[in-house]
Amino acid sequence: MRFLSVSTYALVKREILRYVRRPSNTFLPPLITNVLYFSVFGVILGDRIDRIQGFDYIVFILPGLIVLGAISNAFENASFSIFHGRWNEYIHETLTSPMSYTEMVLAYIGASALRGLVVGVIIAFVGYAFEPVGVARPFYLVAFLVVISVLFASLGVVGGLWAEDFDYLTVMNQFIVRPLVFFGGVFYSLEILPPLYRTLSLLNPMVYMVNGVRYGFLAYSDIDHNVALAVLSALTLAVVLVDIALFKRGYGLTD
Amino acid sequence: MPRAIETQDLVKEYGDLRALDELSISVEDGEFFGLLGPNGAGKTTFIEILVGLVRKSGGEARVFGQDVVDDYREVRDAIGLAPQEYNVDRFFPIREVLQHKAGYHGIPEDEAERRADEALKTVGIYDKRDERFDWLSGGMKRRLLLARALVTDPDLLILDEPTAGVDVQLRHDLWNIVQELNEGGTTVLLTTHYIEEAERLCDRVAIINEGRKLEVASPDELMDRGTDTIYVRTQTTPSTAPDLTHLDRVEGVTIEDGRLAVRAKQGGRVAPQVLNELEARGHEIVDLEITRTSLEEVFVELTNDDGEGVRSGEESAGIPGGDSA
Repeated sequence: MRFLSVSTYALVKREILRYVRRPSNTFLPPLITNVLYFSVFGVILGDRIDRIQGFDYIVFILPGLIVLGAISNAFENASFSIFHGRWNEYIHETLTSPMSYTEMVLAYIGASALRGLVVGVIIAFVGYAFEPVGVARPFYLVAFLVVISVLFASLGVVGGLWAEDFDYLTVMNQFIVRPLVFFGGVFYSLEILPPLYRTLSLLNPMVYMVNGVRYGFLAYSDIDHNVALAVLSALTLAVVLVDIALFKRGYGLTD
Repeated sequence: MPRAIETQDLVKEYGDLRALDELSISVEDGEFFGLLGPNGAGKTTFIEILVGLVRKSGGEARVFGQDVVDDYREVRDAIGLAPQEYNVDRFFPIREVLQHKAGYHGIPEDEAERRADEALKTVGIYDKRDERFDWLSGGMKRRLLLARALVTDPDLLILDEPTAGVDVQLRHDLWNIVQELNEGGTTVLLTTHYIEEAERLCDRVAIINEGRKLEVASPDELMDRGTDTIYVRTQTTPSTAPDLTHLDRVEGVTIEDGRLAVRAKQGGRVAPQVLNELEARGHEIVDLEITRTSLEEVFVELTNDDGEGVRSGEESAGIPGGDSA
């Protein structure tokens, strides 16, 4: 029995084939980048950095790097695919089809989230190659990874509809997503921050994502993982609904 | 049986600009219908409202009885669109592009593969099936747009300037393909700048300008509304042009290159009366030539002055069906 309708399956397949056939543009860059991260922070500097909350530094930063890779790729995939389709107008192939707007949105999000997850897994294997680490809470690890990948794929849809030039995509990824991730506790524990900065950090949604994935690997988190999962799930649902509404309204697509 | 296309007072506004101004057009199921108009007349806007790429500001639009907004899925499933601009997925070989398009329309993979091959063969670019769009020649790109429109086996085929910029041979090839489809029952909506194309292919044409409908009729009916010229060579060229305006439909007579040039509505019908009258006046007829108004001339006349002249001609000629669409 097919889980997806024929038309949704066709669009998901098209989206997946687009990035699977171009690994040098999609999977190779995060692989190389993370080999460099683990080499520098794990091997070269790792021994000179104190353990954080009882974990080797390389192990502590692994979840954050997975989050960074997963959400960047999920976001980039959705925003690029939609914007490029708008730019060259071949998104009309989808828009003039009998697919429902919900099917279109779910197909774009699903394929993009999958890319984020695949990149996350690749980074996990890279990290494991440098320092074998187990998964303490598999359910939470999978749940957080799926939720944040879907969330950022959904945000990527908004970005792809909003963008009017390729520069917009770069701005969104480099100047908004990445800084939030870097200040989201990827490379440090919130415990080491002064109280004011710790409180301010709690306003950064990335903190909840990084700590959620970290909880999945290490059973350690600076914040309540269940609350984080609930809040992120609700946020994801809200953004997906916004995506569907934007497609229905034709925002960035019609006129 | 619902009409293939039916719009009522369709309006599209872009800020202060009214691209469609209460446009009402009906296209019958199985008809080959042409939409003619100068650049910016609203032809593409009209089409894009039907397929959902433009949102209407007012009025109603239905395709096979289904509302283009409320029943958009049914409407889009019925339409195959070959647009004016190249808007093809550049990431995939063209065969896969067609398979994807078929898939979006709910056609299972095996069937989509078969249809993609069939569509590529129909338009004559099957041997290019593994090429990407960017590597095709201009003519092949046009063929691909048609193939993509055909791959879903649409009931309504919309062709927006399908032969723009293609050579004569390809144009004729595309005409033959589309004519065959129409004979097989597919309704065709065609926009074109090539009046000859509309003249040759269309059962009826609508002439629109500035978003408004000026005229809807068959090409023959439209041409009948224009002014034909009957050239008559007589044994001796008269020194002055005889006045024949008392004859029904005759508008005037001049002398051009030693021949009488009689301007009249429906020149073919008037010619016998003209000849009789000239012979009665003692002129010996040696040659006769009737130059019929072209659809192009009618088109220019209509779109230049909003057709006041031709409309009045329609009344005098008593042509029915002028506003039937």
